[in-house]
Amino acid sequence: MIQNPCILTDVTKCIGCEQCVAACKKINGLPAEDAPPRPGNSVDGLSADRWTTIIRRPDNHFVRKQCRHCAEPACVSVCPVGALQKTPEGPVIYDKSICMGCRYCMMSCPYGIPHYEWNSAAPSVRKCIMCYGNLKSGKISEPACVTACPQKATLFGTRDAMLAEARERLQAEPGKYVQTIWGEHEVGGTSVLLIADIPLEFLALNQGHPLGDKPLPERTWAALKPVPFEFVGMGLLMGGVYWIIERRKKLALEAGGAAAKDTRGEAGHEK
Amino acid sequence: MRNNRMFVFKAILWCVAGLAAAVAVLRFALGLGVATALSDTTPWGLWIGFDVMGGVALAAGGFVIAAAVHVFHRETYHAAARPAILTAFLGYGAVAVGLLFDLGLPWNIWHPMIFWNIHSPLFEVAWCVMLYLTVLALEVAPVILERTPFQKAYRFLSRLALPIMILGIMLSTLHQSSLGSLLLIMPFRIYPLWYTHLLPELFFISAICLGLNMVMFESSVTSWLYRREPETKMLGGLAKLASAALAFYFVVRIADLAYQHKLGLIFAGTWEGNLFILEMLLSTILPMVLYTLPAVRRSPTGLWLISMGSVLGFVLNRVNASGLSQIWATRSFYFPAWTEFAISLGIVSACGLIFFFVQEHFPVDPHGLNDIEEQRELADKSSPAFAPFTQVWLGEGWRKSARVYSICFVVAMALGLTLAPKTEPAVTRKADRARGANVLRVGDGPRYVYFDHKRHQDEAGKEKSCGTCHHLHLAGDVGTPCSECHRRLFVPTNVFDHDRHVERAGGRESCAKCHGPGEPQSLTVVKTCQDCHQKDMMAAGNTVVTAFKNPSAASYKDAMHKMCIPCHVTKAADPKVNLPNLGRCGACHDSGTQSEKAYKTEVPPGQEGIGRT
Repeated sequence: MIQNPCILTDVTKCIGCEQCVAACKKINGLPAEDAPPRPGNSVDGLSADRWTTIIRRPDNHFVRKQCRHCAEPACVSVCPVGALQKTPEGPVIYDKSICMGCRYCMMSCPYGIPHYEWNSAAPSVRKCIMCYGNLKSGKISEPACVTACPQKATLFGTRDAMLAEARERLQAEPGKYVQTIWGEHEVGGTSVLLIADIPLEFLALNQGHPLGDKPLPERTWAALKPVPFEFVGMGLLMGGVYWIIERRKKLALEAGGAAAKDTRGEAGHEK
Repeated sequence: MRNNRMFVFKAILWCVAGLAAAVAVLRFALGLGVATALSDTTPWGLWIGFDVMGGVALAAGGFVIAAAVHVFHRETYHAAARPAILTAFLGYGAVAVGLLFDLGLPWNIWHPMIFWNIHSPLFEVAWCVMLYLTVLALEVAPVILERTPFQKAYRFLSRLALPIMILGIMLSTLHQSSLGSLLLIMPFRIYPLWYTHLLPELFFISAICLGLNMVMFESSVTSWLYRREPETKMLGGLAKLASAALAFYFVVRIADLAYQHKLGLIFAGTWEGNLFILEMLLSTILPMVLYTLPAVRRSPTGLWLISMGSVLGFVLNRVNASGLSQIWATRSFYFPAWTEFAISLGIVSACGLIFFFVQEHFPVDPHGLNDIEEQRELADKSSPAFAPFTQVWLGEGWRKSARVYSICFVVAMALGLTLAPKTEPAVTRKADRARGANVLRVGDGPRYVYFDHKRHQDEAGKEKSCGTCHHLHLAGDVGTPCSECHRRLFVPTNVFDHDRHVERAGGRESCAKCHGPGEPQSLTVVKTCQDCHQKDMMAAGNTVVTAFKNPSAASYKDAMHKMCIPCHVTKAADPKVNLPNLGRCGACHDSGTQSEKAYKTEVPPGQEGIGRT
């Protein structure tokens, strides 16, 4: 399996046939027919049984949505038990046997990718895993969705190769494409890149504000790093305050004698 | 003396607990989808926002009072210490139980013990809550042991009290603030008024404010329920402390918003802005100001109301940050299902019942317990014949109250099992996407035609034929018109437009460009489409168009007739549609003598444009 695998989707080439969706469902053993969506679910079409989908935009633009396999994934960083893992090669995978079902990954994903099996009594988190197992075992050489695409709208290769290809296309037809490679820097870079002739900000949950290039896990780590010091510091502070007040009282007792009444510093319930 | 107040209150709590028990059965048997209104866009709901976020904050009274009494030696608040610690213990127990309901795989709740991810705030919260629950159990244990024969254990734990208290304060500091860190990863979800890098600090400070208010609220309610004198002096002192803490919180929060230039958002008149104002008024501004008034501090009713408002306000803060402020980003409104409320309230009720049980049997509040025991003795004496072993001080025999409570529980549970939903709520789809039948919009007006996508696909060559039609799509193209393929009116046509190609290529002299040289001209094409159209149409090496065998399309007339007439005839026969002439030629063609009239008169006003394709 190649290092740093990456999927590049050229939105201008996509015709919205959903062969990629069918191939994804087949290789991952998902039911061919989607269950009716849950009330309140987003309308992008992704579900626990549909790991990639085609979003129809005005004027016959078809945009494929799938897990972005971020370089520094928020879902992996927040999973308290490490059920979501960034593999050494790059794809982000999930292990149900470790998961406890807190759904923090679903809250933290800026693209709204992980989906839940709401109708199951023992539910899993489901999302695209870039065909990791099959690629690793050498059963296939590229993800099923890429093979299935009749228009070669979606390509597979190393991230560097895909970035080079994307840049080449943007330069070859500068009038056609929006001059951005979506996923190049966003939230620290992703392993699924998109180029298009329309803006693709709608793929992320961002209310029109750009997500920024800073990886999301840095935000929580900044708060978590000083935790041991805070813990010890609070202990020292509390112990210190107790010791000072206790000592003052003792001194007051010695000096004032009878004047200092009701100053016993004993823990109250021992009285 | 009878205490009906307490009796009725407990009966209500048992009812709620029974309802929750019924929902619990369904939740574990059928899954989260049936029992909740959660969705993939709102994966955390009431159980996280209220039970966990709110529950941990509500239980903050334990560590705040522990610090005040045992570290800062404020003996005035000593009476509040044991109830506060007991509340904290029950509160954290409730959080753990609430999590069991919320977790998808609750039997794996112990996994953070062996599978570590130190980068996750939730991992830290999990560990802190586990440890703090243990610490709280050790803090509560002396209360239970005090009047039992286990005096050795009691004395041992009492001697350890101070280090245990300090450990509890240390753990609380960490996880109260970590609940704020939890939200730091989602700047894209949380409305700017709530999202700030100071979330951990704000959560910690507000936990202290909430803790003080909760202790006041609890003390007032307990006094009222047990018909006891309120501890006005202690409450007044706590109110002063709370006022100072609230002022600090207010300054930090507003200064932080000002630093980020977000103050304008508060008064923007948006839903979020108003929610923020409500939250701040209720939780902070009103109590901060009112607690400074001596008249308020002397009034038990006033303190009771204000502290309750503040508690609600801070719970609202947690619910806002972890839920309501995110509707802005998800654009999907989540309102908890009644089953979710039932579980949340059921857990609170169970905690209340345990709290009262412990309070009535162990020296949580030594002074209060003496009162209770006196009343119990009185009750024993007053009705010796009927209740020889009166355990409850209510004045009724314990058998009677037990009977009433169990009836409440069982009836509520039966009701819950009957009413609770057994299947997942489903949405009917507005339109079928892509596959099968499709309705295509033609032209600019509201004109639609039925388009059988599957049949087109089958006739053009199944899966690999997509490019046959869809390569005609170019940026800005609103859709390929039917006439692109169904070109001739009366005879089937090749999809390949030979005439147009001849015209564009240069007329009759240009045959050789595609058919190759030689006399007579061969019908075989030597060039594929992509040889000329590679740039417009397809990627290099695409086999779709090279495999393209010029399938013929039905004539325009046949295509339209076959597509429209069957449906028109069916509809014409349907009395509900009430358009008996719909199946006739004149329904669409203007050439008929009376037909146009026949159609027009039947069209309901305002719908003239529809149906004429």
